[in-house]
Amino acid sequence: MSDKIGFIDGNSLDGELTCEVCIVGSGAGGAVLAARLAAAGKEVIVLEEGGHYTRADFHMREDEAFPMLYQESGARATKDLSIAILQGRAVGGSTVANWTTSFRTPESVLDQWARVHGVRELGVGALNPHWDEIEKRLSIAQISLEETNRNNRLLYDGCKAIGLEAKTTFRNTRNCFKSGYCGMGCPVDAKQSMNITYLPDAIAHGARVVSRCRVDRLVVEAGHVASAECTVLSSDDYGYAETPQRLRVRAKKFVLSAGAIGTPSILIRSGLSGGVVGRGTYLHPVIGVTARYKDPVEPFYGAPQSVASHALAHRGDKVGLFMETAPLHPMLAAISSSGFGPQHRAIMTELPHLAAHIALAIDGFHESETGGTVTVRPSGAPLVDYPIPPRIWEALREGLRTLIRLNLAAGADWVLSGHDPALRFSSERDLGQLDSAPFAPNRVNIFSAHIMGGARMGDDPARSVVRSSDCRHHSVSNLHIVDGSIFPTSLGVNPQETIYGIAQLMGDRMTQSWQ
Amino acid sequence: MTRRSFLKRGLFGGALLAAAGAGLAMWPTLMKHHPRKPLLVLDARGFAILAAIAARMVDAPGADPIEIAHGVDVVIARESHEAQADFRQLLLLFDSALAGLMDAHVRPFTSLSFDEQGSVLYAWRDSRLALRQSGYKALRNLTAAAHYASPTCWESVGYPGPPKISGMVATPAATP
Ligand SMILES: Cc1cc2nc3c(=O)[nH]c(=O)nc-3n(C[C@H](O)[C@H](O)[C@H](O)COP(=O)(O)OP(=O)(O)OC[C@H]3O[C@@H](n4cnc5c(N)ncnc54)[C@H](O)[C@@H]3O)c2cc1C
Repeated sequence: MSDKIGFIDGNSLDGELTCEVCIVGSGAGGAVLAARLAAAGKEVIVLEEGGHYTRADFHMREDEAFPMLYQESGARATKDLSIAILQGRAVGGSTVANWTTSFRTPESVLDQWARVHGVRELGVGALNPHWDEIEKRLSIAQISLEETNRNNRLLYDGCKAIGLEAKTTFRNTRNCFKSGYCGMGCPVDAKQSMNITYLPDAIAHGARVVSRCRVDRLVVEAGHVASAECTVLSSDDYGYAETPQRLRVRAKKFVLSAGAIGTPSILIRSGLSGGVVGRGTYLHPVIGVTARYKDPVEPFYGAPQSVASHALAHRGDKVGLFMETAPLHPMLAAISSSGFGPQHRAIMTELPHLAAHIALAIDGFHESETGGTVTVRPSGAPLVDYPIPPRIWEALREGLRTLIRLNLAAGADWVLSGHDPALRFSSERDLGQLDSAPFAPNRVNIFSAHIMGGARMGDDPARSVVRSSDCRHHSVSNLHIVDGSIFPTSLGVNPQETIYGIAQLMGDRMTQSWQ
Repeated sequence: MTRRSFLKRGLFGGALLAAAGAGLAMWPTLMKHHPRKPLLVLDARGFAILAAIAARMVDAPGADPIEIAHGVDVVIARESHEAQADFRQLLLLFDSALAGLMDAHVRPFTSLSFDEQGSVLYAWRDSRLALRQSGYKALRNLTAAAHYASPTCWESVGYPGPPKISGMVATPAATP
């Protein structure tokens, strides 16, 4: 129980709370900011709709972990269901379920944000000292090739075999057992996710972290947020049902850190829609392969994501790509493969021999790519739409081709695409199938676990929601946004460390200009 | 709403099936599968349709269409009211011979043979209508996930299950 100290279940609260800073969302952005502001002496409350779980709750079972740790039990998707969206919902946000890959933001991305999107004072120089500190706190270090599992090793060998550079990743882990269950909550507290790092740090400085407390809307009066209005969620069935209990939180400042779907939807429900709110959503759309090898791969064990290739990140005018791996446990394998009945069964029985590799499209860098949208339904639930433009389909096709080639080069017996029906590739000669294959919504499985944008920063109030100097809302004077939603584009690398760095920097800037 | 804009709205994107809903209640569903416990979102008819779909979709040792349908009912119960209503409509539409007319069968899905049911699923998958493509995807993923998330599938797919890690605990991270 000692793990629970300082964390408060919304069900134990009633009525009204007051504080100096109210942060909505306890993920990558919210947790780091909470720790920074609390350490600077601010009285902080963090509100989180998900539950608070500890390692004892993590039994490495998909049937428990997905409803426990993911939005919509893991079944979140774009509105035509063509892109499956994995996003966290727990104290610690998506960091509790993520796969630990840690990259600093590429300098070329920060340059583009400055040049094209009017982002000021957010260069590598400003972020580096924060990243240094964060990497220490989260034990971010590079894994050696010897420590990778076979799934990752095959990506590495396959890349080398077709002449592409690949490297092992940096991971935020400490004494990692490499069991393979990052995506279901780390059972040994090796992953340095927010629930065991920055949130306890914030609590040590007096912050209160309230779980099962969903912010429905902010009450905005005369350009000023007066309160956050919340619904307490049930302690049963992973906290999806609403209780009749309501909470109101009053604060001097409010920060939205509810992630790139949660934050725009709170803005819209609070009457702060319009402009680019809920527009410019980027997903790093993912296409994948499963490849069959004679010797067992056991894609369910070992550090899930420990090799990455950025060899195709810059493709001139075309959309860039990067390649990584995905762990395969039975449920993820079942939904990322295709077909049904006996056909599907035949793939599933190969599970121990399958490798799973993914290509992620680096979206948002061409002026024609306006990204997706977040809106809300009458009930208030968010709805994401992301029509994939031809440029990105081209990249996904190229990504697929590369994944097939590298697996064949690494010795795969055959490789399957995520088309339904799946395309099967046993040699380079089969690649011609890709030219006539459909690359269209619901014809091939597309995923995303990197949700970005929707409330972007910039210096032009007509083209952005918050200013970049301190992430303050352009017109609401005591409202800030600090999470993945402020990105003007995607990143070309996994997002967590970018969000950590920006959150800590913004914490300092908010403190410096505190009024 | 024009037919085109109706079809362009996504499966869980609103009341897209509502217009088709009115005529659906009259087609008889073959009620072969019955719930074992109280239902959360579905009614007995929707449950019977979903279980019939699960029986055809998920071919695996130990797969139980009734358990799968209950599992999907639980997942849908955690969704928004709009998504719940859409899903109920989808099941009715799926079983209806009205929709079947497009694929040249006139009996409901629940009373078709194994091969005929397969053809219906392929027709939805390969349809040019976004609604049917999304419908296929929803039914496939929800039924597959409900079965393969559960430890009952582990042996049949050669997954030994999670390692025993009791007693292994990483040393607490140093505070800064
Ligand atoms: C399976 C998976 C694997 C991933 N792997 C990696 C990886 O290896 N490396 C990497 O860099 N990134 C990875 N990511 C992505 C990374 O974790 C996210 O980009 C990052 O955590 C986003 O930070 P955030 O602060 O924007 O939002 P989140 O971390 O998602 O936090 C937002 C929080 O706000 C809460 N919230 C939302 N709405 C409300 C509301 N109305 N009221 C109260 N609370 C609310 C949510 O429940 C959530 O807990 C992965 C993600 C997933 C899901």
